[in-house]
Amino acid sequence: MRGFMKIPCTILAVVLALVMSVTLHGQGRPPAGQSPPAFDVDVTGYWTPALHEDGLERGGGPEIADYGGFALNEAGRLFALSYDPSRLTLRHHQCDAYVMPYQMRAVGNFRIWEERDPHTQQLIAIDVWAQTTEGHRVIWMDGRPHPPAWAPHSFAGFSTGRFVGNALEIFTTHLKQGWLRRNGSPESDQATVMEFIVRHGDHLSDTTVVTDPVYLTEPEVRSNDYVRQPGDHHAWLYACDDGEEITGRAPDAVPNYPFGKQPFAREYSQKYKLPLIASLAGAESMYPGFAAKAKNATEAEALAKIQPAPNQPSETSRAPNPEPRDGEIHVLPIRGNVYMLVGDGGNIVVQTGDQGAFVVDTGEGRLADTVIVAIRKLSQRPIQFIANTSMHGEHVGGNAKLAAAGSDPSLPGSFFDLQTPGGATGHLADPTHHATLMGQNNVVVRLEAAKASEDMIPSDTYLEERRRKFHNGELIELFHESNAVTDGDSIVHFRKSDVIATGDIFTTTQYPFIDLKNGGSVQGEIKALNDILSRTGYEHEEQGGTYIVPGHGYLSDEHEVVEYRDMVVIVRDRVQALIKAGATLEQVKAARVTADYDTRYGANSGPWTTAMFVEAVYNNLKQ
Amino acid sequence: MAGESVVTRRIALTTSLIVLAAIPNVCAQGRPGVPLGPPPSPRAAALIDITGYWVSLITEDWRYRQFTPPKGDYVSVPINPAGRKLADAWDPAKDEAAGEQCKAYGAAGIMRMPTRLHITWQDDDTLKLEADAGTQTRIFHFGSRQGAGIDWQGISLASWDYPRAPITSGFGGIDFGFTPPPPPGGSLKVVTTKLRPGYLRKNGVPYGAGTILTEYFDRFDLPGGDTLLLVTSEVNDPEYLAQPFWTSTHFKKQSDASGWNPTPCVSR
Repeated sequence: MRGFMKIPCTILAVVLALVMSVTLHGQGRPPAGQSPPAFDVDVTGYWTPALHEDGLERGGGPEIADYGGFALNEAGRLFALSYDPSRLTLRHHQCDAYVMPYQMRAVGNFRIWEERDPHTQQLIAIDVWAQTTEGHRVIWMDGRPHPPAWAPHSFAGFSTGRFVGNALEIFTTHLKQGWLRRNGSPESDQATVMEFIVRHGDHLSDTTVVTDPVYLTEPEVRSNDYVRQPGDHHAWLYACDDGEEITGRAPDAVPNYPFGKQPFAREYSQKYKLPLIASLAGAESMYPGFAAKAKNATEAEALAKIQPAPNQPSETSRAPNPEPRDGEIHVLPIRGNVYMLVGDGGNIVVQTGDQGAFVVDTGEGRLADTVIVAIRKLSQRPIQFIANTSMHGEHVGGNAKLAAAGSDPSLPGSFFDLQTPGGATGHLADPTHHATLMGQNNVVVRLEAAKASEDMIPSDTYLEERRRKFHNGELIELFHESNAVTDGDSIVHFRKSDVIATGDIFTTTQYPFIDLKNGGSVQGEIKALNDILSRTGYEHEEQGGTYIVPGHGYLSDEHEVVEYRDMVVIVRDRVQALIKAGATLEQVKAARVTADYDTRYGANSGPWTTAMFVEAVYNNLKQ
Repeated sequence: MAGESVVTRRIALTTSLIVLAAIPNVCAQGRPGVPLGPPPSPRAAALIDITGYWVSLITEDWRYRQFTPPKGDYVSVPINPAGRKLADAWDPAKDEAAGEQCKAYGAAGIMRMPTRLHITWQDDDTLKLEADAGTQTRIFHFGSRQGAGIDWQGISLASWDYPRAPITSGFGGIDFGFTPPPPPGGSLKVVTTKLRPGYLRKNGVPYGAGTILTEYFDRFDLPGGDTLLLVTSEVNDPEYLAQPFWTSTHFKKQSDASGWNPTPCVSR
């Protein structure tokens, strides 16, 4: 048969060559060197997860202290042991979605579909919809790059994919903080995920490899299996609105357990007759031979796992600083005509419109000229107003140059203008050629005390809770947060755009800079974070909605503020408890009260170290 | 005229593409791109290389796999009443007395054990998978079945597997090229039967003699150099399962035999 087929094949080839040469006229030929299209595995359809692995955990829910098989480091383990499930009763946690790797393990149905270019039919993206938490992820297949480090994070993260062999290979970044397992086992916002999806008939397997420098010592490998369904399940929603689950609770209460005081730490091991150390041991619990080792562990070795190792130096942040230091100013559109500018220390917000630009903070000032160029590209009109969230240098550093580059046309012809040349001072003395600097009055007081030059000091100030201005078609409100980082902090809310600039009250890069000398306080910081949360709304399952521009770090939403607020409250609680027990500052430091957060926010050098933060909290609470 | 020209060109192009696409299918009558002549050995035709030393990563069903769970703890396994009855009667002492300590180390259970694997080509047609847990050996035969089976590892038939269309898209048995080509890679498929009854879990969750175990071995290369082996398995047991039992188990590639520690079967 093969011999017979050889002749027609040859003939076919010749005929084909002739036909092709005549008909194609050279059109549509692939460019030289272009490889044939990759094999595209079809993963689309309706899928139901087979919960034959970890079924109890994925269905009913996991048990406290069940961390076996997780390569949690000390910070991750302590974070989990400090976790009190009652935290989910807090308004801002009630509708928390799952981060993608955990989402893929959830119960409920899954639907996968393709997005194709309508004209070329090229594959643009593969979408996954998960019923639980209505998780929607998009896997971009068109070769686009991942967003910059200062772009927002989401529960689904940002995924790009390609076909490799018979697998769909996916890489995900920009995840929010969430759960490896919903018993407090954390996955940080620095985690990245490699994923491999293979299909065998009507069976889909998704292997996720989570790399988390903050909470894991080794990548966490898990796999999920799905069975193809012939049709629509008609069950895709997961309605959630937050409500008042516990009334009368103090606004600064975040349920948590002090180190070593998790009341259920032994429950899991006792229930299943396992050595206490077994589920606390981290990476070694994943490997063969572990059971024998665990059985030989002493009680002291196990107990050592439920509190910070003593006499250890503080860990430092494993999170790369998302702020670029390349001498450039990078512009990130937020919403509408509001932008975030990064690259000169503190984040800068610019709002544009048919009036002059409204700017929040001016960075360190190192790149002020570049900032001005960037703003001119965004706004045809000059900078008109500059609001300062703080008196700290990385927020007012560019005040003088940016103000000098702008003008405030609302002043010429007004009584202020008539006061010149003798009556007015500062920018008001020459309003046509300067933008107006705004800030809470204590910014002025502190800058003057620091002998700052007059041209960087706000002239338009407010004293109490609020300053309002309708500008560029929307209401902009400055709210005074007294005694947070300093006594002159403001948050700035662009009401229509629904963007809040927080200054250093909230950052994604460090512990809060509680500047006691300039009127800061830990209690004021917590109140300020809660004030931010009282003005935010989420779009869907605790993400989206109000955008939050931190003083430093990546563009956020309320979820990041909530996690940060929780952290400050929990550290405060620990320090407070130690103070009550009569601990000295040195004893508080030795207790490593930030051990579960140091791999995310800690620093042992630089302008704001972990030791400084703990000392500030201690001294403030001792007052 | 211009419109006619475009139409004519499109028809000609379509015809050409149909002819072009049909050629490899008509000529090769098999996996496109495979040259004529005697088929290569399974070893030479391997779609992926899974040989070497591998260590299991016990990250799922951890409590059931790292430790022997208590009697009657068969959460997640879709066993039927008969299976439940047997699991509730599990008696490791009885297994030991009967010399059946290896019941949890059979083909349907061994891959879930905390174990290291050593996978080699026994010959061009046979893959050998050794597990140090229980000192077990599985033999994957490409082609004809060999051996009588009815032991812990049964008879395993292997084939290289890649996604393929259930029918060709043409007519008259000829695929005109609309069926997608196979991927540049694939899986090892292993179907195991003729098993001696054993345990899916160490605490006596049973599988019967009529079990059919279907496994797919996939290899994933990670950035940074690590390699994973994913073994997706489907256990079909009409005797003790109410529905197929699906698991997917992963192993990490080792550069050498470090940690290799053959141990005897343990029943408790």
